[in-house]
Amino acid sequence: MAAAAMRPSMGALGRISSSTPAVALRPLTQTASLSTTAALLKRHKYPGARDNKDHNKKRGESALRRTGTRWRLSMSDEPLPRPVPRSELPAIETDPDHGLWDFFPNRTTVANPPEEDAKHGRSWSVEELRHKSWDDLHRLWWVCAKERNRIATGNWERNKRRLGFGEAEATGRDREVRATMRAIKHTLTERMYTWQDAVKEATNDPEINLSGDGPAFTPRDYLEEGEAGVAEEDQVAEAAEETAEKTEPATTAAIPDPTTIPASKAQAEAPRL
Amino acid sequence: MQPTRVLQALRYRRLRLTTKDVNKGFYKGTRTGSMGRHTKHGGFIVEWDKVRTYVCPPLDGFKLTPFVTRNMPRTFGQYETKLGPKDPAMYLARWKSENGLD
Repeated sequence: MAAAAMRPSMGALGRISSSTPAVALRPLTQTASLSTTAALLKRHKYPGARDNKDHNKKRGESALRRTGTRWRLSMSDEPLPRPVPRSELPAIETDPDHGLWDFFPNRTTVANPPEEDAKHGRSWSVEELRHKSWDDLHRLWWVCAKERNRIATGNWERNKRRLGFGEAEATGRDREVRATMRAIKHTLTERMYTWQDAVKEATNDPEINLSGDGPAFTPRDYLEEGEAGVAEEDQVAEAAEETAEKTEPATTAAIPDPTTIPASKAQAEAPRL
Repeated sequence: MQPTRVLQALRYRRLRLTTKDVNKGFYKGTRTGSMGRHTKHGGFIVEWDKVRTYVCPPLDGFKLTPFVTRNMPRTFGQYETKLGPKDPAMYLARWKSENGLD
């Protein structure tokens, strides 16, 4: 009877001491002095001997004897947390000026309806963009990119929710934006090549000095006047230098615009061409 | 990337050129550029000075949109020379008229 009462706890004891198989195999009823574990471990030490490990992972488990499993079950007495209703949760704080808001037409709608998408003008022509500065074109490019993001968001939502119509309007709008972006690239490429040709032509111009010493541009009228208008020209040059210093911070773009490039940079690039 | 003219005349006019069609040394790529380097053990080291970053300029107060109103007809330039807007003489004349400093 006593042995039967110990049985349910035998499985538990085996679980506790199951870190090493040799210890788990030891009969629990024997005392340490009578233990034969050491002798069992010493057997079969010749090369090629079978290992002394118990290959039955479920040894001793019995549903009839209610031993339970040898491994620890992942259960605990701790009460489960109860989910809080969404209305009682604190409001999630988001950045009101986050850049991802630019992916939507406004703060409340995720995509424009097709009628709104159809309300757009034509694309910019290259001739219209030729009169824009580098900064304007750079910013217009990013405005176009954000517009395309908005259109793509609308397309994605339309596919996801199976809203049906609207693809033709979105495609037409996207086509105009891409035409504008293509015109921006056309304008800048053309400006670049014209600037390269102008630098080549400037080497043959007597009024232009690309060596880097002295002023880059000396008007012919000034050469013919000689010393008469030196004072006036100096004043003009000083005023021009001041204006150049004022405009310089605005023109330090990542890629220099040929129209707004400083004279020093143009001279530095001239020999490479 | 295009096959040579001989191959274009044969079968590659309609088929794409892959690495299996040519000898060693052909790198097709994905037109994405390098972002790092490979190690001799087969790993890859990302070099952050090679990774592209795109900086959006400040758009506050910028009023241009990707579209122009359809009430305004598409404008075309009037140029005197045959080169048109690509005329370097015109570029230089404008540069001179704008004081020849920048």
